[in-house]
Amino acid sequence: MKIVVCIKQVPATTADKRYEADLTLDRASVDTVINPLDEYAIEQALRLLDDGNVDQVVYLSMGPEPAGEALRRALAMGGDEAYLVTDGALSGADEWATARVLASALDRLSPDVALMGMASDDAKGSLVPGAVAAMRNVPLLSYGAEVWLQDGKAKIRRLNAAGYDIIEAPTPLVVSVTDQVGEPRYASLKGIMAAKRKPLETWTLSDIGLSADELHGAALTRMTSAEPPRTKPPTERIDNVAPDEAATRIADWLAARKLI
Amino acid sequence: MSNDIFFLAEFASGTPQRSALELAAGAVGLTQQSGGQAVALAYGAGASGGAAGLGAFGASRVVVLADDDRPAITVAPAAAQAAAGCLVLLAPATPNGRDIAAALVGRLNLPAFGPVTALSLDGSTLKVEQATLQGSVITVSQPADGAATPSVVLVLANTFTPIEGGSGSAEVSEAASVADDPLALARVVESRATEQAAVNLEEASVIVAGGRGVGGAEGFATLEELARALGGAVGASRAAADAGWVPYQLQIGQTGKVVKPALYLGCGISGAIQHRVGMQTAENVVAINKDPDAPIGEFADLFVVGDLFAIVPKLTEEIKRRKGGGG
Ligand SMILES: Cc1cc2nc3c(=O)[nH]c(=O)nc-3n(C[C@H](O)[C@H](O)[C@H](O)COP(=O)(O)OP(=O)(O)OC[C@H]3O[C@@H](n4cnc5c(N)ncnc54)[C@H](O)[C@@H]3O)c2cc1C
Ligand SMILES: Nc1ncnc2c1ncn2[C@@H]1O[C@H](COP(=O)(O)O)[C@@H](O)[C@H]1O
Repeated sequence: MKIVVCIKQVPATTADKRYEADLTLDRASVDTVINPLDEYAIEQALRLLDDGNVDQVVYLSMGPEPAGEALRRALAMGGDEAYLVTDGALSGADEWATARVLASALDRLSPDVALMGMASDDAKGSLVPGAVAAMRNVPLLSYGAEVWLQDGKAKIRRLNAAGYDIIEAPTPLVVSVTDQVGEPRYASLKGIMAAKRKPLETWTLSDIGLSADELHGAALTRMTSAEPPRTKPPTERIDNVAPDEAATRIADWLAARKLI
Repeated sequence: MSNDIFFLAEFASGTPQRSALELAAGAVGLTQQSGGQAVALAYGAGASGGAAGLGAFGASRVVVLADDDRPAITVAPAAAQAAAGCLVLLAPATPNGRDIAAALVGRLNLPAFGPVTALSLDGSTLKVEQATLQGSVITVSQPADGAATPSVVLVLANTFTPIEGGSGSAEVSEAASVADDPLALARVVESRATEQAAVNLEEASVIVAGGRGVGGAEGFATLEELARALGGAVGASRAAADAGWVPYQLQIGQTGKVVKPALYLGCGISGAIQHRVGMQTAENVVAINKDPDAPIGEFADLFVVGDLFAIVPKLTEEIKRRKGGGG
């Protein structure tokens, strides 16, 4: 059993983010981290490795050259090897293009399970896992709070409106996980040292059999403007008043907005 | 390419989810510009029986993809076949809606847009407005030149208001069958109801949310009363759900529900970024927090500095009184 964990390097959650003049995110001037939700995917993969359910954990990322750092950090947590797909033609990639690239890279790595986070910090889609599954013609089990692998099948526990479902599908497949799978481990000093010797290979688009033309300029969507929002009124504060008065003033505020 | 606007309509026990009614209204709005029809792609238990009823909410046609309890992703192949070539497809920004939308993007190579604040057509070009980077930027985007249709658009609950009082009946058909498809292989092998009642927090127009400051399940009972007085629902931060005071179904945020109520009233919640991304598009944000420097005070519309245990019961009383004692 082989798992490929797809991880993305993103600006730190707390970083001050802004758009450049060309409407791409300015990624040069901010601290970067492994997308926090992908750390849960790494943790899940390493737990399955620790328990002997899988033999190999491989990491895959698409991003600019420095994203290799995220892969090293992942290797320091555990696992065997890593691949970075990097290419000038990928700048500004949208979720479709990202999925296209990951799907082609996964075709070469042929994992039993492609494991992903439930969302990247800097996108709002949660679309990559499902798009990759559809492109690779494999099943999708998404938003897993717990994952099991057994007899050529994967199972997840997924919240529903009143409780949870256990959902099953055969391998090979794509699985995405939530932050309920367990807190990500820290890399040990030994892990960090070991990671330096683990294989990290860089692929260009042609290495995975794709051309820039097929990727439609790396995006099927185009941003035409980015403006600050209409300034909203500043926060009103109610401070230093007795509870009775606070309650009356909140009720007045709500009534003025027809909320009661 | 047709000028029809499609939308996903999820059913449970024969009843359309509120998202289906809201998306119907969004689709009708776009057809007024495109000249096409609003077409529902219905799935979920009881979808066949309830399908025609979507006509009253503006759908001209309904294509039933499946009438069963299987995971939503299993209808993606049928959805791809039915929706290919329409102009725009609206999907609810819920886990199920995102799964189907994602599979369509992968199958048909489509442009996709995350949750939108507004959308319109300029000729046949879709323009979507989104609030990004914690609402600090409003962006306008469109499909790239030459991109295939439909454009797939995710829509948060409470973005559109259902059309009330309609009486039309939609023309119902069954989706053409699709050959065996790996996406259709996922199966629910076990289901557990752990909560008293199913909750669809996304659909609430008023949410009283509690965090670590609420201190326990008893504290949440106090919030429950306030929510009832306001005609709303109770939500929570991850800290409160992690502590086991409320089920995870109530968690708001990056890894919980993304909500867009008319009123979000946060009690004992600090306003961490992962919580904020789940409620920042609420129309009105009120926060009660005893820490005058809590981050939520920086983006709330009304920030009340004080002890929630002292204020919330008084507020509940006051609201009941103003509503005529009934609540
Ligand atoms: C990958 C990841 C995903 C996450 N996803 C989510 C998510 O989806 N949703 C989410 O909410 N969090 C999420 N978090 C956690 C998030 O970072 C915060 O830790 C969490 O939101 C804090 O919850 P809180 O505001 O209830 O608690 P705290 O931050 O501890 O704040 C409690 C607040 O209560 C106030 N308070 C205490 N007593 C009273 C009182 N008597 N009266 C009034 N105020 C009082 C305090 O002043 C304080 O501001 C995520 C974190 C990570 C790393
Ligand atoms: N550039 C990328 N490289 C590797 N994995 C990615 C990339 N973008 C997204 N993913 C994976 O897809 C998941 C969902 O991302 P998204 O659809 O962008 O919200 C992430 O948690 C990652 O596991």
